[in-house]
Amino acid sequence: MTGIWKSVWIMVAAAALTAACSERTSQITLMIGGAPAELDYWESTIREFSQASGIDVNLMRQPTDTDQRRQSLIIPLKAGQKDPDVFLMDIIWIGQFAASRWLEPLDGYVDRDHFDLTSFFPGMVDFADKYEGQTVALPVYVDAGLIYYRTDLLREYGFAGPPETWSELVDMAARVQAGERRANPGFWGFVWQGAQYEGLICDFLEFALSNGGALVDHAGNPTFDRPENTRALQFMIDLIATYKISPPNTYTEMKEEEVRTAFEAGNALFERNWPYAWGLHQGASSPVRDKVGISLIPRGEGGGHVAALGGWHIAVSSSSDDKRSSWELVKFIVSPEVQLGFALNLGWNPARQDIYDSPELVKMAPHLVTLKQVFMTASARPNVPYYSMLSRVLQAQVNAALSGITPPGAALTRAQSEAVKVVETYRQ
Amino acid sequence: MGRTADTRGNRDGLVAGGFMLPLVLTILAFVVLPVLGTLWTSFFRDVTYLPRKLMWFSNYGRLLGDAAFWQSARFTALFVAVSVPLELVLGTTFALILNERLRYRNALRAMVLIPWAVPTIVAARTWELIYNYSYGLANYLGGLTHVTPGPVNWLGSPASAFGALVVADAWKTTPFVAIILLAGLQTIPETIYEQARVDGTRFDQRFFKITLPILKPVLVVALVFRSIDAVRILDLIYVLTDGGPGGSTTSLSLYGYRFFNEGDFGYGSAVAVVVFILAFVLSIVYLRAGGFTRASR
Repeated sequence: MTGIWKSVWIMVAAAALTAACSERTSQITLMIGGAPAELDYWESTIREFSQASGIDVNLMRQPTDTDQRRQSLIIPLKAGQKDPDVFLMDIIWIGQFAASRWLEPLDGYVDRDHFDLTSFFPGMVDFADKYEGQTVALPVYVDAGLIYYRTDLLREYGFAGPPETWSELVDMAARVQAGERRANPGFWGFVWQGAQYEGLICDFLEFALSNGGALVDHAGNPTFDRPENTRALQFMIDLIATYKISPPNTYTEMKEEEVRTAFEAGNALFERNWPYAWGLHQGASSPVRDKVGISLIPRGEGGGHVAALGGWHIAVSSSSDDKRSSWELVKFIVSPEVQLGFALNLGWNPARQDIYDSPELVKMAPHLVTLKQVFMTASARPNVPYYSMLSRVLQAQVNAALSGITPPGAALTRAQSEAVKVVETYRQ
Repeated sequence: MGRTADTRGNRDGLVAGGFMLPLVLTILAFVVLPVLGTLWTSFFRDVTYLPRKLMWFSNYGRLLGDAAFWQSARFTALFVAVSVPLELVLGTTFALILNERLRYRNALRAMVLIPWAVPTIVAARTWELIYNYSYGLANYLGGLTHVTPGPVNWLGSPASAFGALVVADAWKTTPFVAIILLAGLQTIPETIYEQARVDGTRFDQRFFKITLPILKPVLVVALVFRSIDAVRILDLIYVLTDGGPGGSTTSLSLYGYRFFNEGDFGYGSAVAVVVFILAFVLSIVYLRAGGFTRASR
């Protein structure tokens, strides 16, 4: 009997002691996901921060998958837990996270430290990181859709440069594909993201906007069934079914990595992807090394060059128990030095304009400088708290049209009526 | 000393109750409470950024008018109706074969179990590689043997994606049915069959008149487990099609999961409750049909 009680007391005492200890030391938790190499780089960045500031940071690792990263954030934030103190968000989550009051307003800290918000891309903080007039996040890196092309093949088939319009892209892709197929039956003219997932919305946004369409009106209400959008969707179907320059598995398997590996293996002329693919295409073991060019998304009828805006933003949790230290960490992560490090080591495109002029970057990653133009004109997806619900509805219908289950007009009409229901249900 | 039998009985009951207490508490904590919690959440508008509000059955009312919900309900029903009978037939066949005196019988039995031992996510990734359009095994073999005219986009149409899912699910879970039935087969004394053979019966007569009736309780157990698993299927679909093409292979669980991921916990819980009720009702129907309620002597 006494033995049992003794052990119980020891356990209670030990628990109390551990609680007391964790209370005393100032430690903040940063939640980060990504590829192993990225996480390793984060580790070293955090170590630098801790050494300089004396603030202890615990790195909580998340999965690589974007949806799983969101889920592993929603649960502690909804429960109001103290950890994580600081975390990264995909640009499309900010609306929901801010409306849920999970993000600590940063304006007080920004003013106190005279932190300069104008060094970020113009409009980006205003558009993505503000909620009800308050700054609730800051951009860590930006993404925008672009076209990769094979410089050697375009030259070989007598084309002077990358396509300016979608119809030029179709012509070039058809000609090169016909020629290359003789030696490589698995060669395709144009690969892009068509599987049923968030990436499909980015591609659809670009096809639609470059053809004069739009996903929302000025008030932010969905306008999925505009005739220009239907035309753009028909064009996407034609790429697969009529021109046959995009593979049939576009709408089943093609996500970023599938598209990247197809292009990198030398099996495609054009690729729509994000800037991250550049570093990999130019890697030491890449078969297409030094044969790759970057270009803007082509223009369609009645539209200009567009690019879907992506990227990750950093924020402090409103439930954090050490917001002061958390802000120091945020400030460090978005500082020019760390941003330059991300750009040089991970190929992430800085959200700060001032870095693009740095001689080091111009020397090491000249393509980033060309990309600056793309980021300046990138188009964002609707910034509403119920964005992911709208996106799910649209993903299913656009994918149904691509796979031939539903005609494009009917698919977008259906998406629109479901989107209206989503707005009615989830509007604040 | 000197205690009556009655107080002894009470004492035994208390002791038995004491032994069962941990089990009862565990079930309460990890089964009953979460189920009740989910039911309770389903009565709320519980969206991360909206004020939490008790709405009683409004989430269920919304389900009724939700075309995507009905599409996933139809898909799930069809999936259960096709995959479970297929797995039972295949499983019974395998069990009968493995029950014969074959050479390497133990090695064969172990081999049949392998798909069941592989985690579903791993199995699903493997099938993804088999079905892959550009470098998948299925299209490679199709090209070698000229069975298919060209590469087939196996997951590209609702019908073929459905078939691909059923095949992968059958591969994964048939061993489970086979092993359960094999255990049942081994309880049947060989003498019954010898007697029947002496009476000049055919194989099919022995199967339908002897084997199947004796196997029935075991068969019902396999049926219950397989049906419950099929009703709430998620992982295989999550990896292979993620609900595509065009949402045509979205199961109820995957549909509900999406809402949890998006932050609408009330509606997601309502879908989860529907899945739970379906599985529960199905189990009760089977157990009744299998005569389990009477058999509990």
